[in-house]
Amino acid sequence: MTGVRLVEAAQAPLLARRYYAGGDPGPITAALANVPELLEVAMPFLATVLGATAVDARTKELVILRTSAVLGCRYCVQTHTTAARDTGLSRAEVAALRGEAPVTAAFPSPRERAVVAWAEAVAAGPGPVADAPRAALREHFGDHEVVELTLLAGATLMLNRFCTALELPTPPDVVARLVEEGWA
Amino acid sequence: MTAVAAAIEGGVLPGRLWFYANYHCNLVCTYCLTESGPRVERRELGEERMLSLAREAADLGFTALGVTGGEPFLLPYLPELLPRLAAILPLVCLTNGTVLTERRLERLRPLAELPAALQISLDRPEPDANDAMRGPENFRKVVDAIPRLVERGVRVRVATTVSSIDDQERERLCALHRRLGVPDSDHVIRPIVHRGRAVDHGLGVDAGPSDLPAELTITTDGAFWSPFGPTVHGGQLDTDLLVTRTTTPLSVPASALLRIARDRPQGADAQLHIR
Repeated sequence: MTGVRLVEAAQAPLLARRYYAGGDPGPITAALANVPELLEVAMPFLATVLGATAVDARTKELVILRTSAVLGCRYCVQTHTTAARDTGLSRAEVAALRGEAPVTAAFPSPRERAVVAWAEAVAAGPGPVADAPRAALREHFGDHEVVELTLLAGATLMLNRFCTALELPTPPDVVARLVEEGWA
Repeated sequence: MTAVAAAIEGGVLPGRLWFYANYHCNLVCTYCLTESGPRVERRELGEERMLSLAREAADLGFTALGVTGGEPFLLPYLPELLPRLAAILPLVCLTNGTVLTERRLERLRPLAELPAALQISLDRPEPDANDAMRGPENFRKVVDAIPRLVERGVRVRVATTVSSIDDQERERLCALHRRLGVPDSDHVIRPIVHRGRAVDHGLGVDAGPSDLPAELTITTDGAFWSPFGPTVHGGQLDTDLLVTRTTTPLSVPASALLRIARDRPQGADAQLHIR
């Protein structure tokens, strides 16, 4: 059961209407539409942080899916299982990020292992991130990439808690695909 | 000059800020936008909040205030609140006119010295037709209250909300309000809007943002585009005309409304007289 009303298109507030122009905007937008002044700043922020930036999409999916798995967010793990597959991650890689197989076996690249370890460390809080994952990440990424990967992990954490606390339903098309591909 | 003041002066925004003082009412009108009635949740905006918002409105450059509901006069503090609001900005308060006891009328005397008016609903010139929409005894109470307000020097406006009215009936209605002391310039006839309880009765005209003046309207649920915005249907608040949930500082919803209004297409509000 969803914790809040998901605003349907006919009830979309004025500042939210453009997010409904293409049809069902999805549960996160439909929940945020209850507070349109937050929606209109949250969505561009999320679209920018999660969308195409200087860090490639595959690397970003490592952060999003691993963070979501550590936080136990059903909504985000399910939606980013399909998103990660669309980005080109293999079934074994996605399973490892979901916590269903060892990460070390699925990701031989030290660069990608460092990203996953960083996501795990950021998600694990509280307190500072340990020296080891910090040093590993700095071996492969510059300042701007570290900032971006960390902000991405933080935005994912926010979404994890938002979707989990409000019990947002996974979109039916995602559920159908997870069933079809043997994830559910 | 603030952006809001410039927009009002330039005709982009209307000058009036509305308050939904409450949602409960002693009547259960067939076309009520807010499904108001005696047993609905009160959702009061609150005396101090209205005063505070009124002061903010004046600072921002709004030029007038409106108070509506529900029936605002069910709030015990309203007779004293209205002069305080009218001392800040010119005021109109909408009422069904049926709870204006002699004691309340006396408490309203200060309004006579202020830029204030009470807008009372009167839909038909004969009791039966009027009361069919607005409830038993409505007509009698209204035609009793209006002259007693006028005698005290309080300006009264009459609002007629109808799907249609023929020339003869309108003439009888106008003759009535003139007899009660309300001039033609203070009588407005407007259509029923197809929202709230009017939907259940198949009444009214559809009206969206392009048809409704962008009058910022503050309720306990947030800020809306026009007093026709924060309607209730099936017990659930309509959010299609919601601007922001934030109401304080008032500059937040005012700025958001202004942004939306600037992009607003030409509408039919002038033709529909939904004001």
